[in-house]
Amino acid sequence: MILINCPYCGEREQSEFTNGGEAHVVRPKDPDSLSDKEWGQYVFFRSNPKGIFYERWVHTHGCKKWFNAVRDTSTDTILKIYKLSDRRPEISEFQTTLKSPSGEPIVGSGNFAVKK
Amino acid sequence: MWESPDPKKGYDVIIVGGGGHGLGTAYYLAKEHGFKNIAVIEKGWLGGGNTGRNTTIIRSNYLWNESAHLYDHSVKLWENLSEDLNFNMMFSQRGVMNLAHNEHDIKEMKRRISANRLNGLDTKWLDAKEIKELVPIMNTENLRYPVLGAAFQPRGGVARHDAVAWGYALRSNEMGVDIIQNCEVKSIKTDNYKVEGVETSKGLIKASKVAIVASGHTSVLAQTAGVRLPLQSRPLQALVSEPIKPVINTVVMSNAVHAYVSQSDKGELVIGAGTDGYNSFTQRGGYDVIEETVRAIVELYPIFGKMKMLRQWGGIVDICPDASPIISKCEVKGLYFNCGWGTGGFKATPGSANVFAHTIAKDEPHKINEAFNLERFSDGRLIDEHGAAAVAH
Amino acid sequence: MSSIENSNCNYITNKKIKIFFDGKSYDAFEGDTIASALIRNKIKLIGRSFKYHRPRGIYTCGIEEPNALVQILNEHNEPNTRATIKRVYDGINISSQNRWPSLAFDVGSINNLLSPIFSAGFYYKTFMGPRGFWKKIYEPLIRRTAGLGKPPNNFRSKSIHQNHNVDILIVGGGLSGLIAARKLIDTNYDVLLVEQDSYLGGILKNSNKVDSIDGKKTTDWINETEKLILKSNNIKILKNTLVTSYNFTNHLIALEDKFVGKKIDLDKSELILHKIRTTNTILANGHIERFISFRNNDLPGVMLASSFEKYIHRYGVVPEKNPVIFTNNSSTFSLVKSLIQQRCKPLAYIDARKKEDIEDELKDYLKNHDIQFFPEAEVEGCQGNKEVEKVRIRTNNSIISINSSMLCISGGLNPDIHLFTQSKGLVKWDEKIITFKPNTAFQNTITLGSVSGNYNFHKIFEEVEEKLSFLNINKYVAKIEINVEDDYSITELWETKNDKKSNWSKSFIDLHNDVTTKDLTQAIDEGYDRIEHLKRYTTNSMGTDQGKISSINSLGIVSKLLNKKISEIGTTTYRPPYAPLSFAAIAGRSTYEFYDPERKTPIHNWHVKNHAVFEDVGQWKRPWYYKKHEDETMHQAVQRESKQTRKTAGILDGSTLGKIEIKGKDALEFMNLMYTNAFTKMRPMTSRYALMLGEDGMIMDDGIICKISDKHFIATTTSSGAPKVLAHMEEFLQTEWPHLQVYLNSITEQFTTFNISGPKTREIISQIFTEIDFSNEKFPFMTFKSFNYKNTQVRIMRASFTGELGYEIYISPEHALELWETIFKHGKEFNLVPYGTETMHLLRAEKGYVVIGQETDGTVTPVDINFNWMIGKNKKDFIGKRSLKRSDTAREDRKQLVGVVPLDKSQLIDEGQHIVECENLPKQIKTPIEYLGHISSSYYSPNLNHCISMAMIKGGNKLIGKTLFVSTPSGIKNIPVEIVKPIFIDPENKRLIS
Repeated sequence: MILINCPYCGEREQSEFTNGGEAHVVRPKDPDSLSDKEWGQYVFFRSNPKGIFYERWVHTHGCKKWFNAVRDTSTDTILKIYKLSDRRPEISEFQTTLKSPSGEPIVGSGNFAVKK
Repeated sequence: MWESPDPKKGYDVIIVGGGGHGLGTAYYLAKEHGFKNIAVIEKGWLGGGNTGRNTTIIRSNYLWNESAHLYDHSVKLWENLSEDLNFNMMFSQRGVMNLAHNEHDIKEMKRRISANRLNGLDTKWLDAKEIKELVPIMNTENLRYPVLGAAFQPRGGVARHDAVAWGYALRSNEMGVDIIQNCEVKSIKTDNYKVEGVETSKGLIKASKVAIVASGHTSVLAQTAGVRLPLQSRPLQALVSEPIKPVINTVVMSNAVHAYVSQSDKGELVIGAGTDGYNSFTQRGGYDVIEETVRAIVELYPIFGKMKMLRQWGGIVDICPDASPIISKCEVKGLYFNCGWGTGGFKATPGSANVFAHTIAKDEPHKINEAFNLERFSDGRLIDEHGAAAVAH
Repeated sequence: MSSIENSNCNYITNKKIKIFFDGKSYDAFEGDTIASALIRNKIKLIGRSFKYHRPRGIYTCGIEEPNALVQILNEHNEPNTRATIKRVYDGINISSQNRWPSLAFDVGSINNLLSPIFSAGFYYKTFMGPRGFWKKIYEPLIRRTAGLGKPPNNFRSKSIHQNHNVDILIVGGGLSGLIAARKLIDTNYDVLLVEQDSYLGGILKNSNKVDSIDGKKTTDWINETEKLILKSNNIKILKNTLVTSYNFTNHLIALEDKFVGKKIDLDKSELILHKIRTTNTILANGHIERFISFRNNDLPGVMLASSFEKYIHRYGVVPEKNPVIFTNNSSTFSLVKSLIQQRCKPLAYIDARKKEDIEDELKDYLKNHDIQFFPEAEVEGCQGNKEVEKVRIRTNNSIISINSSMLCISGGLNPDIHLFTQSKGLVKWDEKIITFKPNTAFQNTITLGSVSGNYNFHKIFEEVEEKLSFLNINKYVAKIEINVEDDYSITELWETKNDKKSNWSKSFIDLHNDVTTKDLTQAIDEGYDRIEHLKRYTTNSMGTDQGKISSINSLGIVSKLLNKKISEIGTTTYRPPYAPLSFAAIAGRSTYEFYDPERKTPIHNWHVKNHAVFEDVGQWKRPWYYKKHEDETMHQAVQRESKQTRKTAGILDGSTLGKIEIKGKDALEFMNLMYTNAFTKMRPMTSRYALMLGEDGMIMDDGIICKISDKHFIATTTSSGAPKVLAHMEEFLQTEWPHLQVYLNSITEQFTTFNISGPKTREIISQIFTEIDFSNEKFPFMTFKSFNYKNTQVRIMRASFTGELGYEIYISPEHALELWETIFKHGKEFNLVPYGTETMHLLRAEKGYVVIGQETDGTVTPVDINFNWMIGKNKKDFIGKRSLKRSDTAREDRKQLVGVVPLDKSQLIDEGQHIVECENLPKQIKTPIEYLGHISSSYYSPNLNHCISMAMIKGGNKLIGKTLFVSTPSGIKNIPVEIVKPIFIDPENKRLIS
């Protein structure tokens, strides 16, 4: 189980937290002005990258506060944790472990103990 | 046995993903639609993804008509698949039981049983006594959430997961399908909303039709063609026990105490856990999920307290907002998706492959998969199998 | 049984105990494992193999054992117990497995002769036709023969979990682990050292490879080290503890056996599962010897050489005085020395290495002790009936046969990389030691000693010092003197050439799953040439030992068959756990009475006393109905409770309802966004029924909202929806509208709630809260009052879920029971009745109120249940509003809420049945029958004297007044019904607002 460093409580096991999916998705200011398709994009479509992912967590069994994290979904390594009020970190701040465009990392993922 | 050729310059259809769904799609495209020039491209080894990692439960007792028709189309194909492929799928129709632990479960299951009956399915209600007769080792009374009854589908069961991939691979290869392993598709090549082929670790391979059946990685690939899919990739874990002499003669699933179990032909208990609540491509979930599952297992089956976990593993499942799959064309011409199976794709393998082949061949959906389109996320015509379908496995 | 043969062995006491094996009694020593005890008693046949039921004996001396699995009859019949690990105690009752009727004569062994049909992939190719045979004949047959041990008995474990947070975890208390520990004594690190055995020392105690350390005998050095560690304030030792899983972020699982060599006390925790969080992990978990495939390499009497040596040193028993030794590497030299020390002597030493590659020291030693030596030779096979009798040696192209009952083999040493690869570290093939060893760590993992591929024990200290140099370690220096030359040398040998071919003779690659080298060849011939396919097709290394002694061998054989390098083939995945892990231990204490908390209301004991039957609603225990007398059925109770409530008064314990307080400057705006209703014009101190939607427009929850002011609201939620609703509110408040000044607080437990309703309620509560005017004018429907009652704050809201005059009373839990009893005192003259959830459901159905989760199922909008009026149309936005306008969601023929009444009023309609247009159903439904919707609620109304139902049906609003049909659970004839408005009692709300 991965560890998450709650910005308010400190490092805790992931099971204390609930994931809230992609971060920085802003609820449309005027939903009525959107087409069905545009609205559907907001309600149902979220990024699902293999690699660097900006996501939300809430410390459900703790302070109940929401915060953001940048995690490499190909290794589950948490690269950064920041408060909702903090600026969104640039993707260039993070060293990616990705090896290929479809996102096979060098270590840490996949099924192979031996890499060719 | 299938050959492992180098890819040709181009194909009529390229199927990305060499799991059961992908290989099955190739098989039906060749067999039923007369396609001669097909390639299945697999990043690792055939059947190495969720096909080889799932707990092989097969059933069709879904609530909504669209789902019931799709999954039962599949069960019907399962029933003849060993003969069709001349390869023993070891499809064992030992029945699948979904346990009810509270009044709400009972109401939901009785509704589902009634809907199933009208759809021609064989689901029936069992009371606690009948459950105990079928599974004598189950503790139905002395647990936090007593077992009050179950929905039972006798035609459900389990099959041998590897056999599905191998059987389809063998027979489609015999019909000329190229099966290319250890070849990673890096991106989908499109031009002006039209598919041109795929860029792979073995170079560019051209095709006017490209079908993506890559489970957890589908949305990653879709992105390369500029297509957004409403999918999230989550870890799903399973485990097996050491082998013992037969003790459980059916498949038992429980939603309230999350655990499902069957016994393999080798005597191992095959146990499925739930998904983790976050996106991950590591094929590794949290240990707490295993703990939760085993807790439920020990509670339901007191004899398992003296047994041991032999292996645990994880897969990556692609989950759709309404817990139903997408078998659909998209805005890019010649690009097809079969994804979003979440935790329950294995049971659908032949049915999904069959209608997907139709969709690719005719460039329009089969009647059975018409509703499983992408537009439903705009117009709201979802097929919500969350609340009503109990464990969506 | 004689005395302890190796008198230098310190780990076995002279105390004799009795053990039972297959019903016969044997002597053993305290400290013995089942295996060492049986070896002492010269028992070789321990079990039958999985598929062919071949006789099998003890192959190893540890966790890697593939053969010797037994059942412990007196420990709840625990199956598949490793005889090489399980320590005996007086009276332990052991049985062999997978044989019938007896171990010596096993009928299943016929499978061995039928083996051609059980070859690789036999499942897929055989047992097929003719049609129907699979299901009726083959499958039941295969399943009957499945499994190894018999099922255990019911068992309630007392095992517990323990958490550790340390700086450094050392896995393995052998030579390198102990040196690492000594280098960490009295440093600033919190260190945990985990050892699977009851004694520290590893290779030091299991062999005589190392002579002395720091000039001390190895046992003395181990004792000294242990004392120093125990004296230190920073290192803890866990013995009898096996690390089984290495998860992400250095989270490891280890299992401690608290009853090693003792009878389990069922009142105590027999197992402790340790969950270890560490900054750095030091893997010093050693190596595992691998075997070699040759003809009948499974016969009892064949044993790994290092295991044989371990029996001498660790258990003080010499399995055989004059064994034959067959090796391809230098590590077996110490076994020869150990035997000579015991005044025993190998009959022959067969070394596959070239003569010039074999160490001079070894050659001289063999010569000096007059041991037959066969360099550049191999064992062709063994023969014997149920155990080894004859070993056939191929040397210089001829075969020499030696009579011996035991053959010790070594195919080389494998670093035990299981945990390392579990951690997602990558391994690399090493051509020199011919095996995989750790290469790139993924986590903070350090490998030390033989697990890192370092088999040179005299160089271990240097390795530890170098690899731990990044830490602040102490200055300790270990001086290791070795007993035998240990510059490891090996020649590649996976399988020897097989001369004799018969159905009985087999060369195994996986002893546990009965996979032969022929199976591998055949699978590759059939094209299953990917290692994972091969593994799955043949079931190679998928047994309970997970191929610990053989999986690398299969790679070797496959590489030869495919003419590829092993590094190109790669390994299969190592999956946790390292060794089978007890389910009971994983589950720990959170089972049985601790499975899930039971939430009880402050009135719970009163309900029990008054014969309530409870229903589980989430974690809550809610009264379902009250049995007035023993024979009263649920139906009778519910009819009685319902009738009485409408006649006079009834009361429900509604404490389980969720209650959320919403406070702050922007509370009004927030509420307007969260719920469909418009709260702006709502007057203070009034309340309103409200709906909460998901962003998809579907009903998520409902409740009553009390507006105290624009800055203060109290919302109720459904009992099971409470946490979800609060989380939903918090999410939007924190992530979407952080500018809103609103504070949310769950007050579910702060207030106990009673719902009292019925025509006489006003009279009852007026007598209690005498200072309150309950008249309709002063206390109208959907208003509330807060006041002091007996020094506590009480809030009463006029609301009803039954359609009768009703009040909801909120009071602090400590005063709740007293008030409840007071109400009953005053209610007695009106026959006030307590009612449970079932009556609540019936009464609200009579009134046509919906229940979230019953009428709704996540696909229902407010419009679908005729609650258009609840949608604040003038509000610019609220959660889910936009979704209601989507083309499908705005359709007019969606499923809508209607009432259903059977034409024949005596008929009952079942919940969950469907509404159809046909009078009858075919006996067997082949083509799907179209249905309009389903019955969401159905009750027999005692107040109307007929069945009433609610249903969600397509275009329901337009079907009011029509006759349709409702299916029955299994009948052919459907029930004719009339579709009516979903309200059966008091449509004018006279009772409600009077």
